[in-house]
Amino acid sequence: MRRARSLADLVLAALCLWAAWYHTPPGALLRTAFARLFGARSATPPLLSYYGAGARTFQLAEPLPPRAVLSPGAALGLGAQSALERTSPADRAQVLARAGLRSGSADALGDWIGREAQRQGSREAAVLSLFCGEEAARFARERSGSGRGGASLEELARQLPPLYADRVALAATALTLGTAYALGWPLPDSAQVTSPFGVRAHPLLGARRFHSGIDLGIPVGTPVRAAAEGIVRRASDDRVSGRLVLVDHGSGVSTVYCHNDALLVAPGEVVTRGQVIALSGNSGLSTGPHLHYQLDLPRGPADPLLFRAARPPQLASGGTEP
Amino acid sequence: MPVPATDPPAGALDAAARLADRLRWFFLPLALCALVAVGVHTAADVVGEIILRMVDAADAAFDGLVSRWSVTAPLVDLVGPSQRIFFARAVALLWELAADALLALPMLGYDERADEVKRFRELAAKARVRPTTLRVAHPFATGAVALAGSCAVGRLLEGTLHFGLRGAIGSAADALARGCALAAVLGLVSFIAWRAVVYALVRADARSDRIPFRRARAFTVGLPGALLLLPLALAALRAAPLLSFLR
Repeated sequence: MRRARSLADLVLAALCLWAAWYHTPPGALLRTAFARLFGARSATPPLLSYYGAGARTFQLAEPLPPRAVLSPGAALGLGAQSALERTSPADRAQVLARAGLRSGSADALGDWIGREAQRQGSREAAVLSLFCGEEAARFARERSGSGRGGASLEELARQLPPLYADRVALAATALTLGTAYALGWPLPDSAQVTSPFGVRAHPLLGARRFHSGIDLGIPVGTPVRAAAEGIVRRASDDRVSGRLVLVDHGSGVSTVYCHNDALLVAPGEVVTRGQVIALSGNSGLSTGPHLHYQLDLPRGPADPLLFRAARPPQLASGGTEP
Repeated sequence: MPVPATDPPAGALDAAARLADRLRWFFLPLALCALVAVGVHTAADVVGEIILRMVDAADAAFDGLVSRWSVTAPLVDLVGPSQRIFFARAVALLWELAADALLALPMLGYDERADEVKRFRELAAKARVRPTTLRVAHPFATGAVALAGSCAVGRLLEGTLHFGLRGAIGSAADALARGCALAAVLGLVSFIAWRAVVYALVRADARSDRIPFRRARAFTVGLPGALLLLPLALAALRAAPLLSFLR
């Protein structure tokens, strides 16, 4: 009897060690240490990738440019197409064949995701279904207890075994890009870009610095609108960014609106697309009235214009930031 | 040479069982440590959202402070909104490693006793008479994370079997994977997790005994560790979907 229990204990111990060794940060640290000790190559992922159920996103050099103003469905289709571009032709063909699609165009993918989202109850489950297969999406939905809809991609991904990690990353990338493509614009289209995204000479400090958003020149008191629905994560005031609002749109996408004159929302508040969240101003470190509009993706800030078909007018020189 | 009649035939299974019996002192502490570590990680992953909210609030306060002086103003960009997720996950990692140091690593010192149930009853009775925060918080946190760890291991096994065997045995893989996962969770809770709770109680008792017991001071014994562990323990209970194995 004792020996039989010992055998059962040994099997259970092996399961615990397997899980800890491959699926926890301390296990990753030990694997790296062992690999260094024995001079072997280690394929251990970064420690922080063990959080968020591994729903990390790939770094995209440049997302596919949108050709027109996109509906949320078409935006998700373009996001999925951009993510698919990251895969090998064979993998792409497999994903399309499994979904019964002849074309990997944004329109075809958007339609497919829309239909599946209706059937499965959420766009997260639909995108997971596209990249991991219907069986994996069903398994994840059932195990997460979400039934029809409700669960985030992270909650769904937690239910899947690690062999799906790369596919989940593609699904996360598609959702992130789809959410970014679907963003509206915080100001009227006539607002001029007075300072673009990227490295530029700082108008006040002189030195070359990275500008993490774009500046849109507008008179004080202009209504600033939420680019999409989301939750206000921050509404604060400091002497550099001035009065700022940060809205989290989910799927790793957030937008930031700086240098406002007045904030009309508070942290924790749910905002709708187009809702006035602030009145623009000249607060913080600024040389003139403008809105600093910033788009943040999981890997860092991105140029909001990359995700927008219509280009606002650009000012030839000058700057109003930081 | 005649074989003694009392010896059973030595099959491979019997040999493995004998070997496992001889190695219990080695693999049981490792199993306890690993199970608790898996549970702590599961809980730390769940508290990520809460940490993100804390990072947002801390970042806003930090920016408000450093932006007052031109020398420190560039520090506003140190934690931009883009780095929120990175910082939140880094905090979760540090929290996890600290909790591992308090709960998982000590499990390597586990010494198995034949009378574990009796040992648990005695120590639990002592904890009722001479309660300290340490005596209550550490076993509770260990139990919670060990339960979450058992569920995480069960889910991992279920997913691996489900998708690994589906090609070979079709839809039967679902039932098989479910059965194995449920058996693994039950096995882990009844053979491994409860030992972890007993040993956490043993350690908490020994450490509490080092300080002369005074009812007024009992609350402060082990309080910093409890503050670190209790949010994780609650998150672990949330991350232990026992019922999902029956759905």
